[in-house]
Amino acid sequence: MESALFSGLQGLFLGIANLSLGQVIMILVGSALLYLGIKKGYEPLLLVPIGFGAILVNIPLAEMMEKDGFLRFFYDTGVLTEVFPLLIFIGIGAMTDFQPLLENPKIILLGAAGQFGIFLTLLLALAVGFDKLDAVAVAIIGACDGPTAIYVSSKFAPHLLGAISVAAYSYMSLVPLIQPPIMRLLTTDRERKIVMGLVRQPVSKTTKILFPIVVTIFASILAPKGAPLIGTVMLGNLMKESGVVDRLKSASENEIANIVTLLLGLCIGATMEADRFLRAQTLLILGLGFVAISLDTAVGVLFGKLMCFLTGGKINPLIGAAGISAFPMSARVVQVEGQKYNKKNYLLMHAMSANAGGQIGSVIAAAVMLSVLQGMGIIGG
Amino acid sequence: MDTWTFGWTLALIGMGGTMLVLWILSLLILLIKKLFPYRPEEPAAKKG
Amino acid sequence: MATSVLAPMVGKILKVEKKAGERVEEDDVVVVMEAMKMEIPVVAPTGGTIKVIKVSPGQAVEAEQELAVIE
Repeated sequence: MESALFSGLQGLFLGIANLSLGQVIMILVGSALLYLGIKKGYEPLLLVPIGFGAILVNIPLAEMMEKDGFLRFFYDTGVLTEVFPLLIFIGIGAMTDFQPLLENPKIILLGAAGQFGIFLTLLLALAVGFDKLDAVAVAIIGACDGPTAIYVSSKFAPHLLGAISVAAYSYMSLVPLIQPPIMRLLTTDRERKIVMGLVRQPVSKTTKILFPIVVTIFASILAPKGAPLIGTVMLGNLMKESGVVDRLKSASENEIANIVTLLLGLCIGATMEADRFLRAQTLLILGLGFVAISLDTAVGVLFGKLMCFLTGGKINPLIGAAGISAFPMSARVVQVEGQKYNKKNYLLMHAMSANAGGQIGSVIAAAVMLSVLQGMGIIGG
Repeated sequence: MDTWTFGWTLALIGMGGTMLVLWILSLLILLIKKLFPYRPEEPAAKKG
Repeated sequence: MATSVLAPMVGKILKVEKKAGERVEEDDVVVVMEAMKMEIPVVAPTGGTIKVIKVSPGQAVEAEQELAVIE
């Protein structure tokens, strides 16, 4: 009897005995994420489940990410299969209004330029020694789009998922700090003062309904490996614009998106196990992610300058910064910056066009990347 | 394939391809807008 | 000569900063609008005296709608 009591009591202390320093650090990291989400209000919808997931997975002997563990179950069914980010995309499509883009379609090119940071960062990631597919996954932080980054990294580098999603989401919320200095550095005072008038090109309902259908068909045929990404965003948008399936649209942007955000957040947190996350590589990924978003901004602004030149000074290069897909943060940044230099300048709607272009651009860039990888025989098809 | 052939190929085709696909999309949007131009009476027609 | 202060985009009026009869300099904020969940200050295109303010807080406005007239 006495020995039974003793071994029973021992069970309560096994956790403490097995707690490693790494786990303690990661529990603190998880708590810090919770603090940022709850107290500072940075992306709480993501940081609360991620932070909590990170704490749970670092509890010794709880084995939540082991076979049959509860987090493992959601990770295997939702993240490894890439289903969670795709479900989120349906909701994003249902929430996005592409009207500003349809009014001014040539601005979509800024949304392409705003993705170049992905490809430039790929070269940097290879240069610092990442494997080919790991480098692809790190570079995709430059899409500045959480679900895209999660989709690509869960496909090619699931072991880096934690670091990549933390980088993607944290830089997205830092866009108002990262972009303005780059915008100022690359433009002249005269360019920043360019006034862009009103866009007055109303769009018919038929156009709005046809847009998601046409994009899906053409873009998916050109980049078939990206069809799941393009198709889900456009399905969501078609449901919104058609106006005949309000119940499905509202479920996609509310219930489904909410449930998936919760589970996806937990799963991302669950990839932050101490021995996987506490590596120099994680810091490198955070650094490269910062570079990626800075390069996106720089190329976007430079492309804006090119368009300014080609249109004889009608386009304010600042709106190029909104070619990244952080929607609508970066369009707001452009409005604020533009008005700093010319109080009579209202760039918001133009920046929104570029920003909506960036939304599509990031998905297309990922789709093109996947298809090129398939063409090169790096990934199966 | 060695790392740098891989890197440069993916980077160049990736950037060019993204630009190309989005440029085609912008032309398609212009085409749809030509085919189905906005008519101001549209909201009224919807009611009827 | 009268100059109109026009709404730069579709949105809602949040605050009216000036009253009729008040003097304004060029680039003074006349009205603050809200569009896309952000505050956008609409400034006087020229200096002068506000002749009339045509909108009130909470009102929805179209792009290019006249918000005020400066003389």
